[in-house]
Amino acid sequence: MPRPRPKSPNMQNYRPQLTSVLSFGHRLSGVALSLGAFGLAGWLAAGASGPEAFGAAQALLLSTFGRAVLFLITLALFYHLCNGIRHLVWDNVRGFELREIYLGGWAVVGASLILTLAFWAWGLA
Amino acid sequence: MIVDRSDEVARLKWPRRFPVPRNLGVAAHSRIADGKSWPAPEGAVRIATLRVYRFDPEGAAGPRLDTFRVDLDDCGPMLLDALIWIKNRIDPTLTFRRSCREGVCGSCSMTIDGTNWTACTRAMTDLAEPATVYPLANLPVIKDLVPDQSHLFAQYEMIEPWLHAETLAPERERLQSPEQRAALDGYYECILCFCCTSGCPSHWWNGDRFLGPATLLQAWRWLADSRDEARGARLDTLEDPFRLYRCHTILNCTRTCPRGLNPGRAIAEIKKMMIERQG
Repeated sequence: MPRPRPKSPNMQNYRPQLTSVLSFGHRLSGVALSLGAFGLAGWLAAGASGPEAFGAAQALLLSTFGRAVLFLITLALFYHLCNGIRHLVWDNVRGFELREIYLGGWAVVGASLILTLAFWAWGLA
Repeated sequence: MIVDRSDEVARLKWPRRFPVPRNLGVAAHSRIADGKSWPAPEGAVRIATLRVYRFDPEGAAGPRLDTFRVDLDDCGPMLLDALIWIKNRIDPTLTFRRSCREGVCGSCSMTIDGTNWTACTRAMTDLAEPATVYPLANLPVIKDLVPDQSHLFAQYEMIEPWLHAETLAPERERLQSPEQRAALDGYYECILCFCCTSGCPSHWWNGDRFLGPATLLQAWRWLADSRDEARGARLDTLEDPFRLYRCHTILNCTRTCPRGLNPGRAIAEIKKMMIERQG
């Protein structure tokens, strides 16, 4: 009986490329937004149940940790939004030349960073 | 930063691999040990270092990574030339597939410096130092750089890659207009080297049921053929949460195709045809 064949490595050896990194980012930001929706529901529930609970929720959100989480969630939101538009373009069988794939990818990275920073600048002003 | 053609080698030195542990989710018999390191040949001036995946099915040990030093002034310009040089001059047991040595047979596809390409069309001057040479990613390894592609060809067989016609055969050829023939350009050139399927993360996680970019590009080649009369049945075969729709447009396939083809676009064409069929 021959011994089982080993499997050649995939993710452990394959080079990260803009294509795969942005796709993983789309999935991760989607998961983050789903978790963020629970947070939003919790915040609304705290507001509905009285000033004491709402005060505690506000204190948590306005702490350094809370602000960091909120920042990452807004980044996830804008990234998921921008990359979602890229997917809509692809669904129309457009933008599949490699140059377009890379230009679009970097545009999404830049746009989501700028939108997130602009949103926070506007919110903190 | 911007890539125009799939034959461009990544210029960024970092990151060369994802920040995950080397043995993340790797079964014990697939773990790679450090292997033998061969010295540089005497008198060699220009030397390239290759870290090559080895697996001997007849021994008891698991896979290992051997280090070879190639005398660039004594061998041809391509990675395949260097592998043949190693087999002739250093270690005759080194095993790999090769045939045409000009990128049209698809035999010598392997994972070179972390991306899939045919060894015969990758210049030694485009390699990192040291360079890594692994068998095509995510496949059972028969020996050294020879992976078992049975599953990939079984998936290819599933889409019935031949002309289906119910109408009576004409006395001469089934004719096409130049435009109908042009619809196959960019798809019929696929050589089934499976660089794309082996580089597709979706196929890594769901390769048992997801057909993968190479087979789906071939599926589109028959869907796009004006002479084929089985479009409905072909779409029925693909209408499945896994077979077609595990493609999440990651596009590692288009980035890695040694023929410069576009499996990503072919799959998008299939998805669009699927929607249009629903009316």
